[in-house]
Amino acid sequence: MTVMRDTVVKSLAKITVQGDENGLIPEYEVLVNLLPVKLLNTFSERIMAAAPPDKKAEVEEGLVRAAYECGYHTGCGIITSDIFNDVVLPMVTEGEKDILRGAYAAFTAWGWAKSGIVQLKEGEKMVIRAFDYYEADSGGEGLRGYMLRGLSQAFFDLAYAEPYPDGMDTYICRQSKGIEVGDPYGEFIVTKK
Amino acid sequence: MALRLDFTMDAETNRQYLNGHPVVMHSHHYLALITKMAGELEDIDGTGILRDVVEETMRAVFDDYIRKNGLTSAQDKCNVGREYFSVFGLGKMVITGDEQGGEVRLVRSHLDEGWIMKWGNTDKPVNHFTCGYVAAMFGAAFDKPLKSYTVTEAASIAAGDSEGKFIVKVS
Repeated sequence: MTVMRDTVVKSLAKITVQGDENGLIPEYEVLVNLLPVKLLNTFSERIMAAAPPDKKAEVEEGLVRAAYECGYHTGCGIITSDIFNDVVLPMVTEGEKDILRGAYAAFTAWGWAKSGIVQLKEGEKMVIRAFDYYEADSGGEGLRGYMLRGLSQAFFDLAYAEPYPDGMDTYICRQSKGIEVGDPYGEFIVTKK
Repeated sequence: MALRLDFTMDAETNRQYLNGHPVVMHSHHYLALITKMAGELEDIDGTGILRDVVEETMRAVFDDYIRKNGLTSAQDKCNVGREYFSVFGLGKMVITGDEQGGEVRLVRSHLDEGWIMKWGNTDKPVNHFTCGYVAAMFGAAFDKPLKSYTVTEAASIAAGDSEGKFIVKVS
């Protein structure tokens, strides 16, 4: 048996989070927040629009980096969590490949991106397609899947780079298609840096 | 008043909604890095952009809740923002004040505590996010247009104070 995506999505989608008596959400070895999508998309759009042409690449890199570090640290907490152990690990028969399948099922279940792996060469390359992701709703110009770029890079680092926390920045992710620019899906390609 | 929470999910996309507004989970790493980046972009007023975006987008969430639930008193309206702050996992606040302004104490803070977890203490206040949030909260409570209140962070957990303190004045 390998990871059964629909089963994972259904199981994980039931989970909702909200602040405890201190107004905090300590989960997955981090403090989680739950924010309106409109806030995140509007910030990305405005900060990119305000950046002069010679600084846009730097700002874009900053947005990807925020998602990357969030994904790398939180991702480690997710794939070692009780819920991931209970739901995903019993189906894992193909090592890192199945962990990644489980991770993209989790991305889908938690509303980050309805996404999955379409090509995987272990330790070398991964191609992701996303048929829905919240940044597709953002305003602005060009490809804007900063979050999914960062998350994809983070999870490939977690799967195939040096063990956490020493494997950061081993791989890189670029976006080749985007719903936000009229393509039928977003496409994200992870390769060695 | 206890905030009514209606969590729903779109069956097709799995996107999550709270009281009809799309929401998504991230961690303190994300918010801390976004805040740091905004602070470093002084030449384009990155912190101003962050504050304004938070004020505008949170105000829409508060106004929608206030309208749908028929809230009329300033205290009830202000509590919407205070309770949402904790539901969003942003921390715990205590509010005093009136239409002319006031003070918000931050007893716990996702951003400040997350910043310390990530980088340790900072030498100056960094919670621009909550400045925008508090401006939205006072604006909604007293039915004022956006940017009616100026919020200054006078004490900061990230900078070593035991609590955060935000001073609110009419702009």
